[in-house]
Amino acid sequence: MLSLRIPQDDTNRLTVLSASGSSSIHIYSTRGQITYAEGADNEHQYPLTQTLEGVHPLGCHQICTSLDGRLAASAGFNGELRIWKRSEYGHWSSAGEVVPEEQKAGEHWALAPSENEQYLACTINDGRTNIYDTRTIFAGGAAPKFAQFETQDSFGMSGDISADGSMTASGRQNGSIYIFNNSTARLAHSLAGLIKPVRSVKFNPTCKLLAAAGDARIIALYDTQSGEQIANLVGHGSWVMSLDWNWNGEYLPSGGYGGEAKIWSLARRACMATQTESEKCLWSVRWLPRAASAKYETFVTAGAGGTLAIYRGMGET
Amino acid sequence: MDDDFEDLLGGRDGIGQDSSQESLTTAAAGLDFCERGEELLDDGQTPPQSTFDYGGPVGLVVETDLSVAEMGPSGKGKRRNPRSINTTPGSAIDRAGQEITSDCSDTTPSTKPPDSPLGQIEAVFEQIADDMIGHTRQIGISLDVRPRVPPTRSSTVADAITLDRKTRRLGFPGETAEEAWRFTVILRILELMHEALRTGVTISKRDMYYRDPALFGSQTHVDRYVDDIAYTFNVPRSALNVTAAAKGLVVGAFSLCRRDGSVLNAAADREAILIPSLKDVLSVDLSAVKWIVVVEKEASFRSIAASTFWDRLSTEGVLITGKGYPDIATRALLRYLCTPSPRNNFASPPSYALMDYDPDGLAIMSVYRYGSAALAHESAALCVPQLKWLGLRSEHMHLGEEGGTHASQGLLKLTPRDRGKARKMLEREVSGDGGGHGESGEGEMQRALQTMLMLNVKAELQLLDAVPGRLTELLERELCGS
Repeated sequence: MLSLRIPQDDTNRLTVLSASGSSSIHIYSTRGQITYAEGADNEHQYPLTQTLEGVHPLGCHQICTSLDGRLAASAGFNGELRIWKRSEYGHWSSAGEVVPEEQKAGEHWALAPSENEQYLACTINDGRTNIYDTRTIFAGGAAPKFAQFETQDSFGMSGDISADGSMTASGRQNGSIYIFNNSTARLAHSLAGLIKPVRSVKFNPTCKLLAAAGDARIIALYDTQSGEQIANLVGHGSWVMSLDWNWNGEYLPSGGYGGEAKIWSLARRACMATQTESEKCLWSVRWLPRAASAKYETFVTAGAGGTLAIYRGMGET
Repeated sequence: MDDDFEDLLGGRDGIGQDSSQESLTTAAAGLDFCERGEELLDDGQTPPQSTFDYGGPVGLVVETDLSVAEMGPSGKGKRRNPRSINTTPGSAIDRAGQEITSDCSDTTPSTKPPDSPLGQIEAVFEQIADDMIGHTRQIGISLDVRPRVPPTRSSTVADAITLDRKTRRLGFPGETAEEAWRFTVILRILELMHEALRTGVTISKRDMYYRDPALFGSQTHVDRYVDDIAYTFNVPRSALNVTAAAKGLVVGAFSLCRRDGSVLNAAADREAILIPSLKDVLSVDLSAVKWIVVVEKEASFRSIAASTFWDRLSTEGVLITGKGYPDIATRALLRYLCTPSPRNNFASPPSYALMDYDPDGLAIMSVYRYGSAALAHESAALCVPQLKWLGLRSEHMHLGEEGGTHASQGLLKLTPRDRGKARKMLEREVSGDGGGHGESGEGEMQRALQTMLMLNVKAELQLLDAVPGRLTELLERELCGS
């Protein structure tokens, strides 16, 4: 399992989209009432509702969704990018594809859509970041780029668009992090602090903070207005592969290369809990959007073990 | 001198089907003829054509494939000066003429079965001579083009060979100067092979190239055509008495028993021995061997052989290196050691691969396991599918953290060429192995490539050396613990 996304739809029926090294994308459903069954194998709770078969011949490494849950984008190992739309009945279907025009165009790598599903930011492995307008992506294969940011250096391993759509962040293999301002299409900040590859960047729900982490094993928190580093969360024993924020920005789940999943508290700037299921790398960690009626929060991890593990979160809110 | 030629000039008795020497002589002399564009020669050395007698070429079994499939060589962008074309074949034939005159003294008539490589080569020459007698418009050689199939995992490799045997006919003088040159190259190689087979001496490809570097141009041409000829005749390259120079190294607790009675002990020289050719080997004694480790690079091989680990455990294992992409001799030896057969007393020691963590490392391991794309038709005899992947694996990447600065310098990022190569390998994995057996084997390679692309790092085996004792620990844990 290489990548996860959890969109929330308006009827509070959550779905989990997972992409893996196989060529298909699996979609699971989590029912509204998140019960607190004791066992970790709540498979009957999360039935497989749809499989998009063979959509990426060489495997799919990234998948992302817009916040309102109607649009998803997936990137495959062959460099292609595919767009999916969800109908009212919850069924996903293909809405377009972007194939790299020529060999040198590079592979699409990290994806992040904006909240209103209109824009999709995507890093290319040679250092560029492309922003596509999703309305213009058709089944044809080429999409005009709405904007393109060029920083001709290092592989953009991770990317995110802030929830309000104002900023795009991109984390690079050489450790640099760039924040672009979408309205002016200019570089807003170039953040220092992590010298090693940055594998995950995430804006917090209020868009005031950016969390970035990678092979340096620390999670760095930056203020997005000033570009200053305000905190470091230390404690991971191995490379941090994935980050997320919970719905109100209080907690950060993170997944590490050595298989450990940690929850950090922003207020205390410390790790609250660690779960290690196995030694296998955790590629992706996502916090499930909280249903109003649920007592507990949950988050999902996807790893090299090939399974999705769903954890119950804090009792306190 | 004249006596020898009287054999040629004489009637049917002198020249028989069974005298390969004579037929080659006449064929060569016949070529000499055509080259100079004259019907008859007056120097008295070569007889007029009419007295040529092959003992009934019609009665001989002609092995060559006469299908005139595709003409037209693919352009290689190498145009040779036409003048040089005219002279070099002539010189080759001249030399052939000289060689034959000197060799005429030791004609050893013997019966060769028509489908042995020697018989096949002679059949080709005879066909050419036939064409010339028959005054056909041009003479030619048919060559089968090796299919570039990726090594298949399925047990029936024969399928890959029988499907789509594309034949290409190279004519002389042909339509372009390049075709004429190719014809000449192939003819020269056939002649050298014939000599090697007749005298029983093994010739290396390098040696072949140096016989006539002006004609061949570069080593790669010799390599390519030797393999194509072996494929056309449907024999392994070793049956044509052509080898590559020894490249791989081996050291360990086994000994080879040769046909002449001598015993080669691989543990004798601590510096490791060059991998010997298996032609003369009768059997191998593997009683003390508990494991075999295949190392990608010579540098890593040397450092393991010099380590304390090897001091302690050299009596129970074998270390082999192919110095990168392995040659046939290395692969053959590995298969010989690992596959149970009467020759090795039915031993099957487990074999492990120690490669760098990069697409080339995985490709090399794939060559050992399943064979190479270029020599796919020989893969069945050279593959070792049971080779296990010891390292480096993605789990070892965290070692970059522990070693401090030295270790972190060992992790590099993938270059665009690496990524492209990994993608191509992934495509071959996905498309080629739809129905193969051994799920774990293929899935492992696919997952490893995808992980490598995700992490975008690569590491050399020297990463393990940065932390002292780490390599030893890894080897001990895997080899002795299990």
